[in-house]
Amino acid sequence: MLKKYKPFLRAGAIDTMAYRFNILIWAGITVCEVACLVFLWLAVYRSGAGGMDAQIHGFSYREMISYVVLTTIFNFVTFNNDTLWNINTDIKKGTIGNYLIKPISYRGKFSATCLGSLLTMTVMFGLPFYTAALVTLGSLGFLPELSFPAFFAHLGLFLLAGLCAALLNDAISYIFGVLCFYTSSGWGLNSLKVTLISFLSGTLLPLAFFPAGLRELVSWMPFAGMSQNPILILMMKYDLAASLRCVALSAVWIVVLELLAKLLFSHAVRKVTVQGG
Amino acid sequence: MRYVHLYFTCIKRSMISRLEYKKDTVVALFSFFFSNLCSLAAVYFILQAIPALAGYTLAEVGFFYGFSMLPISLDHLFSDEFWLVAYRRVKDGDMDMHFLRPVPVIFQIFAETFQPEGFGEMILGVALIAVCAGQLTVSLTVGALVVLCVGAVFGAVIITSLKVAIAALAFIFKRSGPLLQIIYNFSNYAKYPLAIYPFFIRTLLIFVLPFGLFISLPVDTLLTGAHDPWLLSLAIIGAAAVFFALALWIWTRCERRYESTGS
Repeated sequence: MLKKYKPFLRAGAIDTMAYRFNILIWAGITVCEVACLVFLWLAVYRSGAGGMDAQIHGFSYREMISYVVLTTIFNFVTFNNDTLWNINTDIKKGTIGNYLIKPISYRGKFSATCLGSLLTMTVMFGLPFYTAALVTLGSLGFLPELSFPAFFAHLGLFLLAGLCAALLNDAISYIFGVLCFYTSSGWGLNSLKVTLISFLSGTLLPLAFFPAGLRELVSWMPFAGMSQNPILILMMKYDLAASLRCVALSAVWIVVLELLAKLLFSHAVRKVTVQGG
Repeated sequence: MRYVHLYFTCIKRSMISRLEYKKDTVVALFSFFFSNLCSLAAVYFILQAIPALAGYTLAEVGFFYGFSMLPISLDHLFSDEFWLVAYRRVKDGDMDMHFLRPVPVIFQIFAETFQPEGFGEMILGVALIAVCAGQLTVSLTVGALVVLCVGAVFGAVIITSLKVAIAALAFIFKRSGPLLQIIYNFSNYAKYPLAIYPFFIRTLLIFVLPFGLFISLPVDTLLTGAHDPWLLSLAIIGAAAVFFALALWIWTRCERRYESTGS
């Protein structure tokens, strides 16, 4: 049943490989960017009321630096997603018609491409980057030292949470992509999506910094599972029970969002105007 | 003169085609305000947790932030099409038509879009500056005013030049959008006083990706009088000239490498 999606999985992987030179430049410059971020946070902690070693909203400066470094790697490896733009192009160029008459699901095609890309990125870049980061941060004493079983349990849950994050991201991109059926153009929707995710997922800063009410609300949304929660699982700041709860919440959201996407698509597809072709 | 006329004709046409996507324009405007609100909220939340950032109060950091929006918005008005070139247009082989017209390609790209959202950004920046300045007690000298104006205008020239140069790399590598995005993101770190960074990052932000040169340093001149305003103005204008010339040179060299997709 799933066999027919294999070509798209492969295509996602190959497409990611094709731009590996870009990706290398990206990696080089990102190191500088992370350095800027790290020093920004160091300045914040140095200016803190309790001095350098005080915690701010439950984060020591060591944890904050680990958080920044790991979030950057995580976003790079996990969110390689062109779903919104591809839908937008399919609508604009009318190629959407080709997919509607083929015996595969339009949605399934994007999920497969997303997984292929995730797999390639995780093996090619995730493996070396995460290893380097964990070894460095760990030997600096920035991460807690647990027993082997506990560490591998966290690592396993982190990989699972990462998979959920990629699927959540793809589902949200797909929903915003389908909204392009109504607006006929993807610019505004894309920038709305990017802002929403980077603010509410804890990429910009951990949700612990938000005022209490907002924080509580956001913690029930799907976004925290897309960046903050996987990272805090990897940093072993959540215990196993809390980690499991996070993954479960993400899984529930994936189902909800996929259902929403299905409903939306069946409504939107009636609005299709194939422009010339 | 012919080019001025041509520019306005093109812009008029692009505005008309833009109006075809009214709903998207509304979403774009909303998301633009929302994204500025989010970044501001992030800065606010962080500064809530500490008394002052390296001796700079919330109002002062807000002033840095507001001022940074001026050069960024000016650039945003005129050169938005280069994002498309970097991300998609070269990769999709969508540039053929520009090479067939008897006008320089780079001019056509400038004339392709005019982003009125930039005005929104500018208004937001000015408002933030006004709010923060109201809580500050600094005396505005002529020198400081000059260096702020120079920073805003020539800063925009530097941003545009960086954008042109990196978008041009797409002619060689097919897609330079992600790279452009990262370089552009460095402007986020110049929205703070440079004093919080160690020497090598300050060097990077003044000499290599000089967002700090035209954002942080001019504001510092106003707030603390740390730099000579006239010398700094000269340095900014000089840097703008160098970056602009370099960008043109890179663009002309790279555009020869364009290959159509043949589809």
